[in-house]
Amino acid sequence: MAYIVPSSPETLADRELYTRSRLVEVACLDCLVRVKVRKNSDHHTSIQWNQEAGDCATFAELSRREGGRPVHQACPRLLASIEAAVREGVVPIGAGVDPIETSDG
Amino acid sequence: MTETRTLDTGSVPERFARGWHCLGLERDFTDGKPHAVQAFGGKLVVWADSQGELHVLDGYCRHMGGDLTQGTVKGDEVACPFHDWRWGGDGKCKAIPYARRVPLRARTHRYESVVRNGQLLIWHDPEGSEADLEALPPVLEGVGTDKYTEWTWNVIPVENAHCREIIDNVVDMAHFFYIHFAFPTNFRNVFEGDKATQFMESTGRPDMKAQGYGDEDLILKSEATYYGPSYMINWLDTDYKGFLTKVILINCHVPTGPNSFNLQYGLVVEKPEGVDEETADYIGRRYAEMFGEGFMQDVNIWLNKAPVQNPLLCEEDGPVYQLRRWYEQFYVDKADIEPEMVERFEFEVDTTKANENWRAEVAENLARKEAEDREAEKAKA
Ligand code: FES
Ligand SMILES: [Fe+2]
Repeated sequence: MAYIVPSSPETLADRELYTRSRLVEVACLDCLVRVKVRKNSDHHTSIQWNQEAGDCATFAELSRREGGRPVHQACPRLLASIEAAVREGVVPIGAGVDPIETSDG
Repeated sequence: MTETRTLDTGSVPERFARGWHCLGLERDFTDGKPHAVQAFGGKLVVWADSQGELHVLDGYCRHMGGDLTQGTVKGDEVACPFHDWRWGGDGKCKAIPYARRVPLRARTHRYESVVRNGQLLIWHDPEGSEADLEALPPVLEGVGTDKYTEWTWNVIPVENAHCREIIDNVVDMAHFFYIHFAFPTNFRNVFEGDKATQFMESTGRPDMKAQGYGDEDLILKSEATYYGPSYMINWLDTDYKGFLTKVILINCHVPTGPNSFNLQYGLVVEKPEGVDEETADYIGRRYAEMFGEGFMQDVNIWLNKAPVQNPLLCEEDGPVYQLRRWYEQFYVDKADIEPEMVERFEFEVDTTKANENWRAEVAENLARKEAEDREAEKAKA
């Protein structure tokens, strides 16, 4: 028991909900990267990379430049690819991850 | 009908984070005296040897527990006030003036330290690993030269909160409006490896102008990165009607106990062209005061809030759970770091709804204020 341990099992369910639910895979149209995406609205984007995602060509390019800061904001090509996926209806724009109210609930 | 939601307050972690922790400015430790720093549930001693190099040891003498921070520096060593045992920067006892020889086992806990950008950083790892120099914050080009003002430095003790509270700020878009009276218009996060970053664009709040928070003409671009668990560099570029200021703010902390920490902040200002030394320093001090007020606004919240393991989020909130997943890497053994804790994650907060509502709130406040002023004017007449 090293880190802050939650005292209820529901907390773990919440963590699962907020970090893992409703993710859709999107491939970059310019390089070989594949990421998991969620969009709650037009202006919201959540992008989860993982070990199998591959390396972003644009980031590699940015890292080679001198004097830059070590952290890169989103890759514009990947964002364009996500926008395309949204237009094609592959990535749904939906109301967050909260459970939807059911009529009998 | 949905159930009542309860707060899961969780448990306080049993260990302190692995990583570099900043203890303060180098210049504050070089006066030839031993200094006490509260950290990691105990006390450390910091001193400079005859070459000016800083050393950090556990604060208590391994002989009979004397407080080394109340001792003296003799040559390169710190001498205990109780029986004068001399401790070297390598953690070994070098001499016992009244003894024939030094016991072989006279070795104390030493912290590896590095001075970077004029600040003293030490490596802490409950597993006792060697310091990871790769994990150090970057060298700040030009800091320490004529180009920038000198560091300001302040410490705020936070007695009753875990330092994760300040980490949470990285993703907390909305609190900037309510607590810090700023108006965020653009807000993004990137977590990757041992770094967590917040990109924010904001303006002042016109309804708080009289309180000194600027107005919509004050445009702020901020990029703030945590390098490891405790040390953040915040690059702040402000533009007030074409007058540009570049500030580098350090926001760092040292845990002092399981549920307390010392918050520290310091900044330098890039000296604007055509501005003399004195004015530049004045600008630096003014910014330091302003950020000091800002941190106190946070502290007042932390001291009174409940710890929450299961925050309930709305769609306009930042990625709290992902940030905490990132932060957890510093509290588990290195071998137990899960890929998810370090994999790249990006998030853009949708500020459109918030901005719409806040603009209305600001307008309402301004109108009310104007009406009040008119009333007061009338009463005077
Ligand atoms: S306790 Fe330090 S010298 Fe005896
Ligand atoms: Fe804050």
